[in-house]
Amino acid sequence: MQLVHDIFVLLRKEAILEWRQKYAIGGILLYVLSTVFVVYIAFVRVDAKTWNVLFWIIMLFASINAVVKSFVQENSRRQLYFYTLAHPTAIILSKILYNTLLLGLISILTFAAMSFFTENMVKEVGLFALILFLGSMGFSIAFTFIAAIAAKANNSATLMAIMSFPVVIPILLTLVKLSANALRLITDTSYWRDISILLAIDVILLTLVIILFPYLWRD
Amino acid sequence: MWWKILGVVLMLYTIIAGMLIPLSPATAFIDADKTDTGTRLEMTVHGYNTHYTQADDLRVWLKRDTTGYALCANEINPISDNKMSVAFDLPNRVSYFDGATDFALVIDGGTKDGYSVLPSAVSINQLPTRANMEESCAINSLNQRAGITFPFRNILEESIRSLYFHVPLWFAMMLLMLISVIHSVRYLSSNNLLFSTKAAAYARVGVLFGILGLITGAIWAKHTWGAYWSWDVKQNTAAVAVLIYMAYFVVRDSFDDLDKQARISSVYNIFAFAALIPLLFVLPRMADSLHPGNGGNPALGSNDLDNTMRMVFYPGVIAMMLIGAWIANLLWRINWLRLKRLSNF
Repeated sequence: MQLVHDIFVLLRKEAILEWRQKYAIGGILLYVLSTVFVVYIAFVRVDAKTWNVLFWIIMLFASINAVVKSFVQENSRRQLYFYTLAHPTAIILSKILYNTLLLGLISILTFAAMSFFTENMVKEVGLFALILFLGSMGFSIAFTFIAAIAAKANNSATLMAIMSFPVVIPILLTLVKLSANALRLITDTSYWRDISILLAIDVILLTLVIILFPYLWRD
Repeated sequence: MWWKILGVVLMLYTIIAGMLIPLSPATAFIDADKTDTGTRLEMTVHGYNTHYTQADDLRVWLKRDTTGYALCANEINPISDNKMSVAFDLPNRVSYFDGATDFALVIDGGTKDGYSVLPSAVSINQLPTRANMEESCAINSLNQRAGITFPFRNILEESIRSLYFHVPLWFAMMLLMLISVIHSVRYLSSNNLLFSTKAAAYARVGVLFGILGLITGAIWAKHTWGAYWSWDVKQNTAAVAVLIYMAYFVVRDSFDDLDKQARISSVYNIFAFAALIPLLFVLPRMADSLHPGNGGNPALGSNDLDNTMRMVFYPGVIAMMLIGAWIANLLWRINWLRLKRLSNF
C-alpha cells in the first residue's frame, strides 16, 4: 500500500512539474503537429498503407523526444533526495505510468492531426484505441528504462536513440501489423495472438525493469 | 584443454567432410518443356556428377506423378558423362482427360550413379483422340547409388554445404549471448569486475559470429534467392539483434568509471537479451519467410536433412560453439590482464 501511495504522490509531482514547465509538453505537441504537417505537404496524397507506417514512425520519434527528458530534467541531487524518500520501484513505476499517459495523449493528438489533414482511415476504432493504449504502454516501458540508462551517460540523446531503436522493434512491428488490421488493410481473424504477444513483451520488459532499476540508480 | 582440442578436431572434420564429400549424381535440367501427345519428344538431359558414358545399364522413363503411369524411352545416346540425348515416341493417349499433365523424368544410371528423379520435367498436352491407353512401361529394379554423398537440390546445388557453416554460426551466437547475459547477472549479484569483463568478451564474439552469419547468409541468399538481401523476416531480426549488441558496446564505451560502466552495461545487456527473445524466437514464426521452417518451407525435419548431412551438421554446431567459447575465453583473459595492469599504475 505504501508503494501505491508513493506512486500516486510521485505521479502528482510529475504532473505538477509538467504543468509548471508548460514549454516541455507544448514543445512535444508542436513537434507532432509540425511533423504531421511536413509529412502531408511532402506526400500530398497518403493511402492507408502509408498512413499506417507514417503514424507509427511519427509516434516513435515523438515518444523518444517526450520520454528522453524523464530523468535528465532532474539534477542528481534532487534525484538523490527522491531516492531517500521513496523506493526505486515506486519511482520507476510512477515514471512509466506518467509516460504511458503522456504517450497516450501524444498518440491521440497524432491521430487527430493525421485524421484532420485527410479523412479518417481507421475502420475499427475500438481495436485502434486498444492498440494505441498497448503501444503507449510498450513504448513507455522500454523508453523510460532506456532513458534512465542514458541519463547516466554524458551524450544521453545519442545513446537514447542507439539503445532504444533495436529494443523497441519487436513492439513496433507487432503494432504496425495490428493497426493494419484496424485499418482493414489485412484481415486477420487471429489478431488476439498479436495482442497477447504485445502484452507478453510488455510484461517481460516491465518485470525486468522492476528487477533491474534498483541496480541502476545507486551511484 | 580437452574441449579446445575437441573443437579443433570437430571443426577440421566439418570442413574436410563438408567440403570434400561429393553431391549425389542427379539430373540438373533438360531442354524440353511442353509437348503434345502423338509426337516424338527429343531432349538433351544434363546431369550433375553423373557418369552416363560409363553406365552399365542406362534406362530412362517419363512417369506421371498422380497415377504412376510410365513411358519408356525409345532411344538413349550418352554424349558425355554429364549429357545425353533421349527420345520418346509419345503414344496418342497418356491421360483420360484432355489438357496438360506433368510428367517426371526418372533416370536409372546403373550401379555407379543409382537412380534420380526430376519432378515435373515435361508437361504433355493430351490432344482429343479415340485411341486407348497403352500399357504402362514398368519401372523396376532401380539401382541405388553406392558411397557417401550429399543430396542434390536443384536450387541449392553445391551451396547446400553452406548449411554446415551458416547455421552453426547462429547456434553458436545464441549460446555466446546466453553465456554473456548469465555473466551480466552474476556481475550484478557479486559486483566482481571479472564477470563484466567476461560478459563483454562473450557478447563481442557473439556479435562477430552474428556478422559472419549475416555475411554467409547473404552469399547463400544471392545464389538461391537471387539477392544478397531479400528483406526476409529472419534476415531483419538477425540484423536487429546485431544492432542491439552494437548499442551494448557503445554503452560500455561511453563510461569512464569502471564500476559504473560494468553496472550499467550489465543492466542493458539483460534488458536487451529479453528484447531479443521475441525478436529471434517469436516474430519469425508469425511471418512468412524464405528461410526453411517458415511458411511451408522445409526445415531440419526428417525429409530435408538426410542422415549424411546430419553426420556433418551436428559436429559442425558443436565445433562452432567450442571455437566461439575458446575465442571469448582468450579475449576476456587479455582484457582482464589489461584491466589489472591499469589498476596497478
